[in-house]
Amino acid sequence: MIDNIIFAAIAMTTPVLLAAIGGLVNRVGGIVNIGLDSMMLAGALAGLIVASTTGSCLIAVLAAAAIGAVLGLMMSLAVTRLDANEIIVGLGFSVAVAGLVRFFLKTVYDSSGTLNLPSVARLPGIDIPVLANVPVLGALVSGHDVLTWLAWLMVPATVWFLARTRLGLRLRAAGAAPQAARSLGLRPLLLRDASTTFAGMMAGIAGAYLSIGVVGIFNEGITAGRGFIALAAFYFGRNRPWQTALGALLFGFFDAFQIRMQGRGVPAELVQTLPYIMVIFVLTVMALATRRARSRRA
Amino acid sequence: MSDAAITPWKPARVPLQTFADAILPLALALAVAAILLALAGHNPFEVYRLLAVESFGSTRRIAATLSSTTPLILTGLATAVAFRAGAFNVGVEGCIFVGGLAAAYVGFAFAGLPGVVLIVLGLTVSIIVGALWMLVPGVLKARLDVDEVVTTLMLNFVAVSLTAYLVNGPLLAPGSANSATPMVVAAARLPRLMPPSTLNIGFVIAVLLLVLYWLWGNRTALGFETRLAGLNARFATAQGIDVPMLIIKMMLLSGAIGGLAGGIHALGTVGRFVSGFSPGYGFTGIAVALLGRGTAPGIFLAALLFGALATSGATIQLFSDVPIEIVEILQGMVMIFAVARFGWIFARRRRAA
Amino acid sequence: MIEPKADAGAAARLGASNVTRRFGPVLANDGVNFQAERGTIHAIVGGNGAGKSTLMRILQGMDSPDEGFVLVDGAPTVFLGPADAFGQGIGMVHQEFMLVPGLTLVENLMLAREAVDRLGRIDRRAALDAARRLEKLAGVALDWDMLEQDAPIHVRQIVEILRLLYRGADVLILDEPTAVLAPAQVGELIALLRKLRNEGRTIIFISHKLDEVLAVADRITVMRNGRVIGSLDREEADKARLAEMMIGEIIAQPKVRNREAGAEMLSIESLDIAGCGHAQLKDFNLSVRSGEIVGIAGVAGNGQDEIAEAVVGLIEPRSGHIRIGNMEVTDASLGRRRSAGLSYLSPDRAAEGLCLPASIADNMMAGHHRAPEFCASGISRRGAMHSHVESLLDRFAVKRGSSALPASSLSGGNQQRVAVARELDGDPKVLLACQPTRGVDIRGIAFIHQCLLDYRNRGGAVLLISEELDELLQLSDRIVVVYGGRITGEVERGSADVAEIGRMMLGDTA
Repeated sequence: MIDNIIFAAIAMTTPVLLAAIGGLVNRVGGIVNIGLDSMMLAGALAGLIVASTTGSCLIAVLAAAAIGAVLGLMMSLAVTRLDANEIIVGLGFSVAVAGLVRFFLKTVYDSSGTLNLPSVARLPGIDIPVLANVPVLGALVSGHDVLTWLAWLMVPATVWFLARTRLGLRLRAAGAAPQAARSLGLRPLLLRDASTTFAGMMAGIAGAYLSIGVVGIFNEGITAGRGFIALAAFYFGRNRPWQTALGALLFGFFDAFQIRMQGRGVPAELVQTLPYIMVIFVLTVMALATRRARSRRA
Repeated sequence: MSDAAITPWKPARVPLQTFADAILPLALALAVAAILLALAGHNPFEVYRLLAVESFGSTRRIAATLSSTTPLILTGLATAVAFRAGAFNVGVEGCIFVGGLAAAYVGFAFAGLPGVVLIVLGLTVSIIVGALWMLVPGVLKARLDVDEVVTTLMLNFVAVSLTAYLVNGPLLAPGSANSATPMVVAAARLPRLMPPSTLNIGFVIAVLLLVLYWLWGNRTALGFETRLAGLNARFATAQGIDVPMLIIKMMLLSGAIGGLAGGIHALGTVGRFVSGFSPGYGFTGIAVALLGRGTAPGIFLAALLFGALATSGATIQLFSDVPIEIVEILQGMVMIFAVARFGWIFARRRRAA
Repeated sequence: MIEPKADAGAAARLGASNVTRRFGPVLANDGVNFQAERGTIHAIVGGNGAGKSTLMRILQGMDSPDEGFVLVDGAPTVFLGPADAFGQGIGMVHQEFMLVPGLTLVENLMLAREAVDRLGRIDRRAALDAARRLEKLAGVALDWDMLEQDAPIHVRQIVEILRLLYRGADVLILDEPTAVLAPAQVGELIALLRKLRNEGRTIIFISHKLDEVLAVADRITVMRNGRVIGSLDREEADKARLAEMMIGEIIAQPKVRNREAGAEMLSIESLDIAGCGHAQLKDFNLSVRSGEIVGIAGVAGNGQDEIAEAVVGLIEPRSGHIRIGNMEVTDASLGRRRSAGLSYLSPDRAAEGLCLPASIADNMMAGHHRAPEFCASGISRRGAMHSHVESLLDRFAVKRGSSALPASSLSGGNQQRVAVARELDGDPKVLLACQPTRGVDIRGIAFIHQCLLDYRNRGGAVLLISEELDELLQLSDRIVVVYGGRITGEVERGSADVAEIGRMMLGDTA
């Protein structure tokens, strides 16, 4: 039973983690990306359609990544070149893309929110021979798909990228002090746009995971606000990849837990509120901890 | 995001410039939407013409438009009030749900009371519930600097789920299969202004509130303080203004107005609470507040615009196969263009940092 | 009138030919001609608004002239940006350092010129080697793994200078480099600049401190109102001559009347403050009485900010008492302190002292908007406010269009006049004035000084915190020197000795 929960938790963490890593890099570059959810949604749709028409998950994931990247770039340009407030732009994108997705569904597929396509290539799980039968450990590492592995590998990769590479250093500078970066001849706006494009790409991949990895169909509520939960995760993580992963994992556990609880007489809708309440709770606890740390040193 | 609070719209300047500032985002959004419509095989001009006719073409249509405008005036006002003080409240949508359910409950559970009492009680309850809904995010932001965008956003989801539970469970209309409360009694319905249209005194209430907002913003000390706090919180603090308390007050007020929007929708337009109660009025309200630059006349005009789009969008669905989602797309784009600054196009190209 | 030196064959390393630059109606640079010879230290002096910073930014490629050219080794050049100027060996240290918080000192040093291997991975050892070599050149020793925000100001300045050398700059432009240094640290900087000059580098620096300029410069150019008034060699220059060129007229020294100090208006007792990001204040005691100006001198970061924040109520002390008049305000909010008679002139005009997007009138009324003459049960009396604003603006000689225009439309000096007018409005019991003339033109400085003295003569009490020692000496009845959160000495008006104060600023107790 524990095994099932662990497996589900890891599985539910993946989309949030993918988007959160993207959001973290974006934030290091200087933009808080509120539009991750919409990029996830678009990626989910694109992934499903391409998986159905080409029969290849690889191409589907690439398509989702591309759509997310394009949306990310567009959003970034609005913020960096048109000097628009990043929060409003993020929200505007959320609303516009949600509308666009439904518009597209109605126009092309004559559907009002759900899309069920034939022969969708699903993401296969990767079983690890010996470990699969080990309790707990087996649930942790065996049976998960390639995107889950990707998500977790991205965490140390991001740590290395930010601390040890030239591009990572320049990105950090662009986010923390764009004026100083410009005075040294760097292009902070370009770096920022690149980081948002990366975030969009990751969110798109997360969306593909949801549509072709988890459920196999698309519906307009498929993200269930996970893009916003990813936001909370990288807030929790404070620009540190491992801490962000921990945040994503926390919500993954809650998500898995919440699905378990639904069968047991607890009303489904109430249980559904738990992850969102958790986010508020976590942010509060973090703020209290920060306040205490600051006054302790006084 | 916990930097100095900045009200997202540029402060109003010369009237002509403000007008142009407001028109440009709309024009751009319409242009982009036109491209989309064309790609989907529709004629954008024909679509826009239909939209205009269906919203203002006759007295009945105008009444329908004003009826759709009512919730948007309120959500736009609710959002503007918070934005003005520097709080990015995106949770008005949730307030509509909880406020609406509360008012509907009063409307069917206290059937014996006289009409006026029911209406006043119902609306008051929606106001209180809406305000309380924003208490936690308000206090968290004011005292702990917890990001209100995330907290209010999360509460939207919670509100939808919570009300869904209540309307599918304890408050479900007996014998009803869909998620809806019993109808509120006739006495609790808001009086109609132009039957058979759904336009009701909610519209009058909304406009009244708008006028009060205008007076408050320009002529009271509190209005003065909120504006300064939103433009530069450090400055306001240095002048002795209690910014945290102001934020809490404005968040409560914002929630109250949002709750009222829900109450008016329940007692005026719909007559009960159903799942899917609000088609995104809260988010449209954000677009309204931004396009209207937080001013009373601006909010009215922007609400009117989106109300017109909503009304006509619903009916043109019957005449053509243009999806109503085009309205949503327009909304999102208006939001983005409303906060974009195009000044650089006109300034000489400078490399000055 | 001194003519600029004619070209003597060898082209100057960096110069400007007839450079003009406008910002809207303001003519920041007007036909500026300028030459800096290789291997010299060239100072540019002038008051605020003289156009020095604009010229420097143009020379360094951050900005470009509307007319005229930058001359590099005599040839007219157009820079596409600071990177381009860097490519030609020209670098600048700005007044607000262009270092990146969150990065270490060595990361800041190598930023945008990182040593990398084929993977794009940073070669830390190469970077540290380069850092050590530069250290030796400058005669300093730094902890290169320290985070930028933890490093003291003069260390950050050294990193900025070393960064220029790391990037191969042989022309170093420095904007008001001594503004943030104690007198002894200034000496170290001057020694470093001389060393670099002797190796053939060209140094251009901006200053308004004539003593320092005369101590280190080989050649001095004076600017006023966007124009070059003249250039002279060090031997030809003296303080009086430079001042006259800078100001163009004699400005009367503010009148200081002798008066007896009256009742205690501000009392700080046994104040104790510590915290991350805060300097420590230990057992701090200070008293300001009616009719006196008490100045606090010290190198930035030694407790002055904390004193100000504690008096105003922005931070909470661990122990101690603060009284305004007779009222205990230690736990009171800023609002209550203002009601008790405190006024606060912020050191940060743009971010705290004013609300730039708001109108001039709003800025003037903020903090007074609830006074009974302007507010009746929450409703503002707009007519009364308007006439009050206009009368204040006239009294303080603020040059403006309409008072409904945003405060950002005013020049820096006029903005500060608005802030001063507001804080003195209503004759508060005590005024906390922090950096009251920062970024203000010469005439404005004199005006504000006179305002403060008039207020003091009327019985006002002023706690004056300033980085300008001259200002403190001119205005204060008493100067208290702080170092490391403690008072290291106190001097009375008339018996002040700059050298002695300088020593106290670095920790020598009197």
